[in-house]
Amino acid sequence: MSMINAMPLAQARALYRPDADIGPPPELADPLALLNAFHPDYVSSSVAKLAVGANAGDNCQRELAELLQAEAIIDEADLAGAPVTDTDVLIIGGGGAGCAAALAAAERGARVLLVTKLRLGDSNTVMAEGGIQVAIEPDDSIQRHIEDTLRGGHDIGNPALVAAMAEDGPDVIRWLIHEGMQFEQEPSGDLCTRRAGGMSAARIVHCRDYTGLEMMRVLREAVIQHRSIEVWEQSPAVELLSNEIGQKCVGAVFKSLADGRFRMVRTHSVILATGGLGRLHLNGFPTSNHLGATGDGLVLAYRMGARLRDLDSFQYHPTGLVYPPHLSGKLVTEGVRAAGAQMLNAAGQRFIDELLPRDIVSAAILRECQEGRGIRVDDGRVGVWLDTPRLERSQPGLLERQFPKLLARARVSGIDPRLDPLLIHPTLHYQNGGVVIDVNGATTVPGLYAVGEVAGGIHGRNRIMGNALLDIISFGRRAGVAATSQRDRGPKKVTLEHVNRARRELTLAGIPLTHEAPQILPDYAAKGIWNR
Amino acid sequence: MTNDSDNSQTINLTINGVAVAASAAMTLVEAAWHGGVPRVTAVSCLESVCGSCRVLLRRGKEVTVNLACQTFVEEGIEAVFLPPQVPPLHHYEIGDFTDGWNIQARFHEIFPEASHCRNCHGCVRSCPKGIDVEGAIALAAAGHFRDAGEAFLECVMCELCDSACPELIAPAHVGLFCRRITAHFHLRPPNLIYRLEEQRKEKAGLAAGESHYTISPFVKGGSR
Ligand SMILES: Cc1cc2nc3c(=O)[nH]c(=O)nc-3n(C[C@H](O)[C@H](O)[C@H](O)COP(=O)(O)OP(=O)(O)OC[C@H]3O[C@@H](n4cnc5c(N)ncnc54)[C@H](O)[C@@H]3O)c2cc1C
Ligand code: SF4
Ligand code: SF4
Ligand code: FES
Repeated sequence: MSMINAMPLAQARALYRPDADIGPPPELADPLALLNAFHPDYVSSSVAKLAVGANAGDNCQRELAELLQAEAIIDEADLAGAPVTDTDVLIIGGGGAGCAAALAAAERGARVLLVTKLRLGDSNTVMAEGGIQVAIEPDDSIQRHIEDTLRGGHDIGNPALVAAMAEDGPDVIRWLIHEGMQFEQEPSGDLCTRRAGGMSAARIVHCRDYTGLEMMRVLREAVIQHRSIEVWEQSPAVELLSNEIGQKCVGAVFKSLADGRFRMVRTHSVILATGGLGRLHLNGFPTSNHLGATGDGLVLAYRMGARLRDLDSFQYHPTGLVYPPHLSGKLVTEGVRAAGAQMLNAAGQRFIDELLPRDIVSAAILRECQEGRGIRVDDGRVGVWLDTPRLERSQPGLLERQFPKLLARARVSGIDPRLDPLLIHPTLHYQNGGVVIDVNGATTVPGLYAVGEVAGGIHGRNRIMGNALLDIISFGRRAGVAATSQRDRGPKKVTLEHVNRARRELTLAGIPLTHEAPQILPDYAAKGIWNR
Repeated sequence: MTNDSDNSQTINLTINGVAVAASAAMTLVEAAWHGGVPRVTAVSCLESVCGSCRVLLRRGKEVTVNLACQTFVEEGIEAVFLPPQVPPLHHYEIGDFTDGWNIQARFHEIFPEASHCRNCHGCVRSCPKGIDVEGAIALAAAGHFRDAGEAFLECVMCELCDSACPELIAPAHVGLFCRRITAHFHLRPPNLIYRLEEQRKEKAGLAAGESHYTISPFVKGGSR
């Protein structure tokens, strides 16, 4: 990005006028051509073909492919002397999906162990602002929710999964309320609903602009308080465990971030709930995700033999912050554009209808930046304006009323979005694909479940707003229940047979075993190479 | 928009005892990464909403606490990342509560220390979100759970107030208790209940395992 021609920030700021006369954006003649030329998913250099594993021959984002075809972090020698813990259900990941699964399994009387990389609740879930989809308005129906979701996903989602999720919606909200989550209400007591992109009815319920925070702190508290759930923090999973023939998942290995020691857990059901991969910064993009979002679950499941899908499809959200620098990549919610905010290039011109689907808007911003019409900050990063001052002039007080979180974050750096336009650039936001699952969250490997952002097939190639928070609870609970119905007495022997098998396949395919995965933390957090 | 050209100025500080030369406008988290401070893993959202990056700050004699991801480097400041707060000693499961009429009694059984607040302001001084924790604890002790819970709307679960409280009241968990039972006992939205009832009747009319919903032929390619 740094080689790109662009107008320096100070110059663009001096040119900017909140009252300048700007017309409608130019007509977009050929959306597919725009995507093909500028959206990272469509740029052929960003895609590779997998050579080994259940998805051999499939397209996969290049950097992710490197991780999926890497050597394991551990071998048998590391496990000698590692303590072993037994549990009924093992849950890996302490975000919304993991907590929902833990609670569902514990409600069924299972002993549950939930192990997470950072602190319980450190997740993408806690950052969600917008809300959660549920079809409860009289002019809406479960059927319409299903159809909107499938259409939004470019018609390649798994209809059975989508139907299960939409059908669960009302009961998911009932359960969340039972656990103590609050939602915005009308004076009549009805839940408030909003409509967002791709929805044929108002369907988003929310708790102010803190929906994810409210959900996460309630579920976190419910897990902490529950008598049959034990929690290990600061303990990333570095490998799964398999039976003697490497065909069934029977546990996992964790490495403490505090003292580096390994611990093994033995069980008959493992639920992966490790979330997304924004912190891999695919194709060099900034991200809206939390620090632990490094795609570990995909790597672990793939080495175990599970089938994945749509590994070349990611959501780049159009409005990630470029400035202030410490918030680089952090999200400005779509709500700001929905409320009427426009986007301008360095010359002060609109260049796209701001309310088109996210992938198209992102591609248009990337085009402006790459063709020299962007705005550059000192460290070389480039963006375009999100014209918040004009929005404030047309609807005074709106920003403060509806987007307090945005104002609070900008204030720390002495920026006031009511006076200063925000500099934005697309940010890596969501993993559309993931581990193939059935309606119970079961993967193609016996004993292994996957729920939440790590799973795929629900959102096709494009997730519409509010469906992620619904999917994590719906499938989290389904998997929690299914995992407790296992009747066998648990594994006799736990091995790394699947690791040995994967190593043989890599060697046969001529892939050098120089890289290790999962990543666990981004290099800048793990190795002291942060620079700015 | 302010200018960022003064970012190259060097700021000297210590983080977990390690001397760090950071550039201005870095947060303490960035400075810790930049300076290679080992084992800084109490970090996640980087936008002051997850509450994990608790730091103790020493400026001369003054000692305060904050969240590292919303605190910028300052010349000479000593920052120490704090270990997580120990889990609360109070236990309840929301499913234990069946009767809203005795919820005040149950609250005092679970959180007996809440009525011992000595108004020391420790919790208020340590809250990075500016919440009137002390006032909310008084509301909770008096049974005003809805109002007490509302005060915690922006609470990010950092538990710095718990660490500060000499009476071990665990204010953050009191706050969550208040919010949770308010929803649990009082949130009964008609539009949601209506749809649930509709689904229940539909299910009752179907054979077991059958789904009511059809996957109709939707418009192909309409999303583009
Ligand atoms: C800024 C932002 C705003 C969003 N807004 C919305 C919205 O308004 N509506 C909506 O529906 N969706 C929204 N989303 C998407 C949604 O929040 C996420 O997709 C969803 O919360 C993911 O939940 P999860 O439980 O699967 O993953 P997460 O919540 O990310 O949890 C994953 C957990 O697994 C842990 N973990 C990871 N690797 C390991 C490992 N190796 N070992 C152990 N533990 C591990 C992580 O530390 C974390 O605790 C938003 C996302 C972001 C980033
Ligand atoms: S109320 Fe307590 S837990 Fe919540 S933000 Fe304030 S100090 Fe942190
Ligand atoms: S710290 Fe504890 S004792 Fe002091 S005012 Fe707060 S709640 Fe009361
Ligand atoms: S990292 Fe989440 S509050 Fe600082």
